[in-house]
Amino acid sequence: MVSRMKGLLNWLQERLGTREQLTKFFYRRLPAGTGWLHTLGSAALFLILVQTLTGIFLAFYYVPSPEHAYDSLTYIQNEIPFGTFIRGLHYWGASLIVVVVFFHLLRVFFMGAYKYPRELSWVVGVFLLLLVMLFGFTGYLLPWDQKAYWATVVGTHIAGTAPLVGDYLWRILQGGEEVGVRTLGRFYTAHVLILPAILYGFVLIHLSIVIYQSIAPTPRRGLDIIKNEDYASLYAASKEKGETFLEHLFRDGVVFFFLFLFLVWITLTWKIPMEEVADPTSTDYVPRPEWYFYFLFELLWIFWGKWVPVATFYIPLVGVVLLFLLPFYDRTPGRSPLRRPLASGLATATVTAMAFLTYQGATAPLPPAATITQEAKALPPDLAKGMEVYEGQGCSACHVVRGRGTAGPAETRNG
Amino acid sequence: MADKRLPPSRRRFIATMLAVISGAVALILGIPLAGFFALPALKRLDRRWLEVGPISEFAEGEIKKVLAKPLTAQVWPYETPPVAIFVLNRGGENFALYHIHCTHVGCPVRWNPQASRFFSPCHGGVFDKEGRVLAGPPPRPLDRHEYKIENGILYAGRIYEVNEKLEFTRWYHV
Repeated sequence: MVSRMKGLLNWLQERLGTREQLTKFFYRRLPAGTGWLHTLGSAALFLILVQTLTGIFLAFYYVPSPEHAYDSLTYIQNEIPFGTFIRGLHYWGASLIVVVVFFHLLRVFFMGAYKYPRELSWVVGVFLLLLVMLFGFTGYLLPWDQKAYWATVVGTHIAGTAPLVGDYLWRILQGGEEVGVRTLGRFYTAHVLILPAILYGFVLIHLSIVIYQSIAPTPRRGLDIIKNEDYASLYAASKEKGETFLEHLFRDGVVFFFLFLFLVWITLTWKIPMEEVADPTSTDYVPRPEWYFYFLFELLWIFWGKWVPVATFYIPLVGVVLLFLLPFYDRTPGRSPLRRPLASGLATATVTAMAFLTYQGATAPLPPAATITQEAKALPPDLAKGMEVYEGQGCSACHVVRGRGTAGPAETRNG
Repeated sequence: MADKRLPPSRRRFIATMLAVISGAVALILGIPLAGFFALPALKRLDRRWLEVGPISEFAEGEIKKVLAKPLTAQVWPYETPPVAIFVLNRGGENFALYHIHCTHVGCPVRWNPQASRFFSPCHGGVFDKEGRVLAGPPPRPLDRHEYKIENGILYAGRIYEVNEKLEFTRWYHV
């Protein structure tokens, strides 16, 4: 057995030079300071592989048509062995990827890892982030439940507010004048064929750059500021003191394992939210996006009337462009977050604002009269009567009572 | 760097031929593919008129939600789902038929008869009985269906947008 293995290795060695290739790959040195935070990128890749595998298996039973999509998912969950588990991994894995990719981006930002000579790696990474969001957007139409349907109606309406091309975009995305059979076909094709092809293409480029340039130097002692002309020598010196890739791979493995256990634990303990089958004629449904779109959802409260495209188009556009071009306008030699207070400060402010908007979005008030609920019942009778009028008459749309209430003039919403 | 055995004229010829071949393949494949993808999306709905119901079913001055039935079947899928419409009978065969999607980002508005207002469930849009914006971010009044009355039956047609004076501005997303 051992000799046969050796024989095979020798056969490969003669044809591919396997030994040198593998030695070069696993024993290449990484810069000093490469640690646990540097496992986030490979953790994202690991989760992408889990999504791919579970997605392929879901496609065996899922049927992408408005008549059958919802029932086929119910069938997967109720009749197919391990159906709930496989779908659960895919469902919760999607959210987990967003979290991991976001922290990966923060790690790269705060360590200045997007700077010379890794600008392209950053640009490709931003593409990957957008692709992950598009996977989310196209994926959650597929169950064809109420949430799926109305989130997509909102999504295509938002696309429809784009200047000049909005109406075409609205039609092209929907495949017609309404969210229906052609929309589901389009989103399905994008989700399982087009986006994965593009994603793996970009992942390949991203990884090639990481292998070619290796991991960015950790910005500490002597490496917190690096001028481009000093980069090569400083980086080489840092590598002298660093570990091999094989040693780092151990950290990756540990992170994969615990991340996977965490995903399995969530899948086994949390119920996949599944709502009623999509009903385009319902007028009592309250649409809410996935949690990772809450900040955009909340942004929409702020701009009124003719200013709506500011929230639906211009702010997202400017945000994405600024993100893409970061390594080209931030060319200061500082690498440590402490050595570039302006960049760190702005980034912290942005993340805080997004976290705040996400929280606001998660706790956004319900429309009037959808809320004559627990709270009103818990009040003394005469106050409850008043609450009923307040809710029933729709006063809460503008006026705030007991810390609740909807839009209205912005100042009253905040109480 | 170019090989001396390959004169410039020959190189140009090869480059031109490769460009012509790729261009031809791209066009012959690309045009049908683009049409296949985009034309069904740009086509108007073939079901111009939806049957809303006898006008006697609509009390004067009141809003009623109806599920309107398409008159002509689609090519596919054959079962066309009904379309929800809020109907306001203004009296004297004068109606307003509102599209249920909020004009902000498309959430389904709900009619609250006690308050006599439409409320959007997403970002706090409020509309009055005539569909005018009272509060919140919606950029224009509720969109409407054109309508006609034949033999006492109300029919809903295409959707259009209106301005603050409730005058026609344009067809919906055309």
